[in-house]
Amino acid sequence: MTTTTYDAPLPRRRGRSLPTAGLLQWGTWVVVVGLILGPFVPLLYASIRDRPLYEGGGLFTLDAYRDLFSDAKFWRAALHTLEYAGMTTALSVVAGGAVAILVARTDLPGRKLYGRLTLLPLLLPSLGIVLGWIVVWGPGGYLSSFFETHLHLPTLDVNTIPGMSVIEATRLLPVAYMTCEAALARADSSLEDAARSAGATPLRVLRSVTIPMLRPALLNSGTLIFTLCIASLGIPLLLGTPRNIQFVSTYLYLQWTNAATPDSPLVSAGAMLLLAVATLLLLLRNRMLGAEARYVSVAGKAGRTAMLRLRGWKWPLGLAVALYIVFSTLVPVLGVALMSFVAFLTPLIAPWHLFTWANWDILGTGVYLRSIEHSALLALVGGVVTTAVVALATLVAHRSKLPVRKSLPFVMLYPRAIPGLIIGIGFFWAFLLTGGVGGWLRGGIWGILLAFCIRNLPFAYVVMYPTMARIGEELDRASRSVGAGWWRTCRSIVLPLLRPALFASFVLMFVEILNDYDPALFLVRPGTEVIGTTMLDTFLQGFVGPVASLAMVQVGVTVIVLALGTFVFKVRVTGGHDA
Amino acid sequence: MPEIHVESLVKQFGQNRALDDVSFTVTEGELFTLLGPSGCGKSTTLMSVAGFQSPEQGRIAVGGEVFFDASSRVNVAAERRNLGIVFQSYAVWPHMTVFDNLAFPLKVRKEKRAAVRARVHEVLELVEMRHLADRYPHQLSGGQQQRVALARALVYSPSVLLLDEPFSNLDAKLRERARAWVKELQSRLGLTTVFVTHDQDEALSMSDRVAVMSLGEVQQIGTPEEIYRRPSNRFVAEFVGRVNLLSGQVAAWERGRVALELDGGRKLWVDAEQAPPPSSRLTLAVRPEALKVEPADTSTLNGSNTLDAHVKSFAFLGDRYQYELDASGLALTAQVSRAVVGEHVKVHIPADACAIVE
Repeated sequence: MTTTTYDAPLPRRRGRSLPTAGLLQWGTWVVVVGLILGPFVPLLYASIRDRPLYEGGGLFTLDAYRDLFSDAKFWRAALHTLEYAGMTTALSVVAGGAVAILVARTDLPGRKLYGRLTLLPLLLPSLGIVLGWIVVWGPGGYLSSFFETHLHLPTLDVNTIPGMSVIEATRLLPVAYMTCEAALARADSSLEDAARSAGATPLRVLRSVTIPMLRPALLNSGTLIFTLCIASLGIPLLLGTPRNIQFVSTYLYLQWTNAATPDSPLVSAGAMLLLAVATLLLLLRNRMLGAEARYVSVAGKAGRTAMLRLRGWKWPLGLAVALYIVFSTLVPVLGVALMSFVAFLTPLIAPWHLFTWANWDILGTGVYLRSIEHSALLALVGGVVTTAVVALATLVAHRSKLPVRKSLPFVMLYPRAIPGLIIGIGFFWAFLLTGGVGGWLRGGIWGILLAFCIRNLPFAYVVMYPTMARIGEELDRASRSVGAGWWRTCRSIVLPLLRPALFASFVLMFVEILNDYDPALFLVRPGTEVIGTTMLDTFLQGFVGPVASLAMVQVGVTVIVLALGTFVFKVRVTGGHDA
Repeated sequence: MPEIHVESLVKQFGQNRALDDVSFTVTEGELFTLLGPSGCGKSTTLMSVAGFQSPEQGRIAVGGEVFFDASSRVNVAAERRNLGIVFQSYAVWPHMTVFDNLAFPLKVRKEKRAAVRARVHEVLELVEMRHLADRYPHQLSGGQQQRVALARALVYSPSVLLLDEPFSNLDAKLRERARAWVKELQSRLGLTTVFVTHDQDEALSMSDRVAVMSLGEVQQIGTPEEIYRRPSNRFVAEFVGRVNLLSGQVAAWERGRVALELDGGRKLWVDAEQAPPPSSRLTLAVRPEALKVEPADTSTLNGSNTLDAHVKSFAFLGDRYQYELDASGLALTAQVSRAVVGEHVKVHIPADACAIVE
């Protein structure tokens, strides 16, 4: 090679890249922010009108809020919600933290497996699991009657607030577990080693160093769990309603569905109130947390020796964790599975005498088949679309110079804190007010898809962000310096490197959308049912068998998709839930 | 190869002035180094030339083309500046083979496939990496990755080359080889190059000219020899190599020499082109290896600028000896090639080895 070849310069790159990149970035921002925050505008509007928006005319008024606050039933519901959320939070944070310490810092046998299994309730369909609890532990349930008649032992009454709290806590414990486990994994274990070499016993180290170190994680996950409890609809509706125990979420839902003429301004006002509380809690959580720490990925130092030797406690504690997993996850799933194959479930008659295919046969017909088809379609399309849009939005948020980019992370995490119910009501009004397009969305399943996607997109973002943060910025700059524009750089450099996270996001979104239901409750209409809404409907009509088989469909598809994701695409799917 | 003009760059990060009136010109084919401790603004300057930082004031032009001008709001996008950059982390794209890494800039320029192939192989040949064209970056050593990064920055014949601490991730042995290799390549191709480093050895050994920066300001621009022997201020003297700083009051000036009365009353004659204000205080910088150290009974060192000193400690550095001396309260560090026997020595400070830095 001589200097002469070098002196013949290649042409500069042609074409214009900047205006298109700017357009794409602004477009993404407008779409994402508009779709997430947009529905709350009509919600607010609906709450300050004196009549439902679908009736013409009307005046601005605060009557709805006045009515709400003067309704004794609302106050009772609010009290129940507080009690329920407080108890659930305490239970799941304490237990989740304990499991995290056992898994991350002791020599508990099988702790790795326990760590994985503990996360399962997050990914399994929550409605199905609740059904499992009912058939196993509910009044006349399989195990509760067995305990009563054969062992003469009382069991926890699942139709009380403490009973519901226990079930909700098993569902939300993984949130606390994941946050604490991540905090322990990234905490420098030499802090604990230092305490030990200073003469502290392992238990003392636990009390004086490890647990104080976990305090931010406990507070953080506790706030999130509290918010999720306030938003929870499934358990309160299925277990509270039979005893007439109302919560804010069920109060609003029943006001809307049961009343002869739903007082829609009142429901909207209640939704606004919930939204305000959830938003406050989210802001509180952001304040407590350094913005960055939240995203630090779960990556422990390999080969670290267990700090705390459990000695004699090893097997009893191991057994306790195993029992917890069996009773919180395995037994309900088995209960639902059994339920789906029998005419009715009772410990008094051996199940093989009651065997039937009827619950499965019925899935091939009418509303059941339609729901399954819809859910599968929505999960597939929603998984792809949400992953694509969130990938683009994450690129804009962290890899562009768009002046408003910093607002995107907060906006994308926002739906996580918002009750699905409220997203549903918000979209209901939004579709109603946006004419032709809204009408089309409201009439078909695509409106439901939109609500599902918005509700679940925080998971996609939380899966993608840590991976993107690990892609060094110099890789982009190198691409820019050799002449590639913003979009070309994203396409050729960042997105290919993000591929594992994109797969993980798709798998997670697929599962979440498949199993989601509460945003759809206000949007569903005959002909647009999804599995979740059909399950709830069928259950409330008193038919448990088809609900069980539908739940098993969800469980089966979820497990298969997760297994495919884990073993074929090698993705870690669970990473998203500690958002 | 065009010239680079950087004029009066100012950049503020919050309360901090990252760049404070930074100006310099890099002439054609020159290897120009920005040297300074971390946070001195050298990388910000380089990234402003590259287009990844936008200063608030100033002007940057390469060849005849203005890349950045705050007053007329010109700011050419990074991808349209046609510069070659080697990043500190190399930034070799991990999902592409060596070949694909080099081919990417050409594909962006919509070159024909055959032309891409030929050009990539030609440049790989240049950096002696042709046999590794199908490897992925994780299969390469640090030194090889660096060559790929350099090849990628050269493959599209950029107008100038920017190097951002390219050697900091190599181990000491490899670093020296890489320096020589890059320097050789740079001068063979006649590339106008801006090089950023915090390593003074690197800066001195490779550069045609060096700009020493501190706290966002250019402290001195000069050839490596000028920077080392004639530091214009205390910061430059201390940052570039070891130095003895001596303070005293001006006692007299005659024919290009200043007599300085050191604290303690001793007089030192120092070369000075201009007369300093009478009775002003000056600080001198003297390199340790410029000092001459002889046994106390020697007769070769006599007369002016010679002090009696006491050896506090000495260390063997392999190719030389380092003495910590105490000349009646004046602490001096000297480096000499031969060991000097005895606890008491004479130390001579040559008049032409002192630079007035304050």
